[in-house]
Amino acid sequence: MLSLNAFLLVSGLLFAIGFFGVLLRRNTLVIFMSLELMLNAAILALVAFSRFNGIMDGNLFVFFIITVAAAEIAVGLAIIVALFRKRQTVMVEQLNSLRH
Amino acid sequence: MNLEAFQKIAASNLWGNLLPEIYLVALCLLLLVFEMVFRRQDLLLLFRVALWGQVLLLVLMGLSYFGGFPSGREELFGGLLVQTPLTETMRLFFLFGSLLVSYLGTRFLRARNLARTEFFAITLLVTAALMLLVQSNQFVLLFVALETVTVGFYVLVAYARTSGYSLEAGLKYLIMGALSSGLLLFGIVLLYGVAGSPDLAGAVGDPLHFPSLAQFIAAHPDNTLVLAGSLLVLSGIAFKVGAVPFQIWIPDVYQGAPTPVSAFLAVSSKAAGIIVLLTLVTGPFAALSGWTIPLISTVAVLTILYGNLTALPQRNVKRIMGLSGIAHAGYLLMGVVAAMTVDWAVGAIVFYLFTYLLASFGVFGVMALLSEGQDADQELDHYEDLAKRQPLLAAALTVGLASLAGIPPLGGFIGKLVLFIAAFQAGLYTLLAFSVVGVVLSIYYYFGWVREAVFRVWRSAEGAGSATPALPEPRSLTGLDRTALVGLSVLTLILGVAPFVLTWFLQL
Repeated sequence: MLSLNAFLLVSGLLFAIGFFGVLLRRNTLVIFMSLELMLNAAILALVAFSRFNGIMDGNLFVFFIITVAAAEIAVGLAIIVALFRKRQTVMVEQLNSLRH
Repeated sequence: MNLEAFQKIAASNLWGNLLPEIYLVALCLLLLVFEMVFRRQDLLLLFRVALWGQVLLLVLMGLSYFGGFPSGREELFGGLLVQTPLTETMRLFFLFGSLLVSYLGTRFLRARNLARTEFFAITLLVTAALMLLVQSNQFVLLFVALETVTVGFYVLVAYARTSGYSLEAGLKYLIMGALSSGLLLFGIVLLYGVAGSPDLAGAVGDPLHFPSLAQFIAAHPDNTLVLAGSLLVLSGIAFKVGAVPFQIWIPDVYQGAPTPVSAFLAVSSKAAGIIVLLTLVTGPFAALSGWTIPLISTVAVLTILYGNLTALPQRNVKRIMGLSGIAHAGYLLMGVVAAMTVDWAVGAIVFYLFTYLLASFGVFGVMALLSEGQDADQELDHYEDLAKRQPLLAAALTVGLASLAGIPPLGGFIGKLVLFIAAFQAGLYTLLAFSVVGVVLSIYYYFGWVREAVFRVWRSAEGAGSATPALPEPRSLTGLDRTALVGLSVLTLILGVAPFVLTWFLQL
């Protein structure tokens, strides 16, 4: 059986990919995927901890996180689509009208 | 777990103590049903239901205090929620805030062809979640309540979806908000994992529960995962508060969001963040005060300096409010640090929040009433000669800005004073010095605005009219507008001159 550390390593890696993806990528959709990757990293770690520590709370928490992530996606994609219709772009550099 | 334990938990499920939240959610659903039944977006009807529904709740809550304001600490729902006089006061705070947001929202929606019901429905839902957020005593509830607030705000910030500014602000808030939620969540997971680990002595059975976690952290304050987890959680909260280095989203989002939503973000969202931070650093993270005090103090100094210095050269009024709001978050962070050692500083923070609410809504109210159509590009120049055109608006603006700057005898002055005394008692002298410098700087830009509105009447004749952009023509004020603005100004003055209000707050 895999050890807890193996799961945590994968989870940490996913989190780092997501975090730096948000900071470094320029395409809003890729940024959005990176954000979801961060949530999924947390879910993986949560399930692993829950399994190895023998506490069920973590497994329950996962359902709440999935719900929240779905709500976030629904609202987020709606905003991106509306913005694309208005500006014909999803690149971060071109979304800079709020500067004075 | 045996049957008795379940019975004990069931006995603590006191739904009656959550009536304000249930009422708000029911009102939100009622508005949505109204829209389906009547099939027309009658703004006046919706507005009346939303506004009078909230007034009724305020009255009912007021009546319930005749039996005595809640005192002491009560744990509900098996320790998920905890109710104290502080959380009860914050409930009133959020309700008051959402009343004012609903009122400003009507002025905003009247001029635009946007969906109407949802604005009020989401405002009510967010308010209920804010109330739950400050009462939460467990990480699952904290996360779910916080996300309800944040997702609600994504929609509200991008609400004017015909405006590119609003959508862009919505996207920026979405990315930043989701990033902070990710950090917060990962921090929670790390704390959950390490506190439940059977390999460590003193591992607890329910690591998401604040008191259990506090117990574990007190036993292992130097554990690496505890440090990483608590740091991530604090970063996530710092995003919501808008503390340096997580303040980056504030000016853009405040500028692009509809003015009522900017006010909502500035006041209620920030207040909730500060109270959650207070709950965390005095609850589960109390044993970490060895590094949390220096860390939050440093962040507070940077926040105060950043907010005030970047607000100095600004001309856009919404960015001024956003950046000066960062500075106010800095003063509040100083209050949080003080509250870790001085008990009555909690009351000082809440008093400051109330003065900030009254003054901010006064200023944002004037901004909302002045903005026709596009409201993202209000400049200081638009306020030129406001005193001549609209004396009432200019007076309300002056009172609000003077209170934000901390000029006696207004509420903002007393709020800053008690916060500074608390910091002095806690021995935070360096922090106090930076705060005083920040306050002096803030007088410059607040009074630059007042000067545009009031004192430019006597400027020289050759300077007049040159390079002045088209002024937005203020709408005629209704009786409600006058009542709201005068009421906010009078309350600001009362908080400044009536000592019994302050005494009441300091007992919290």
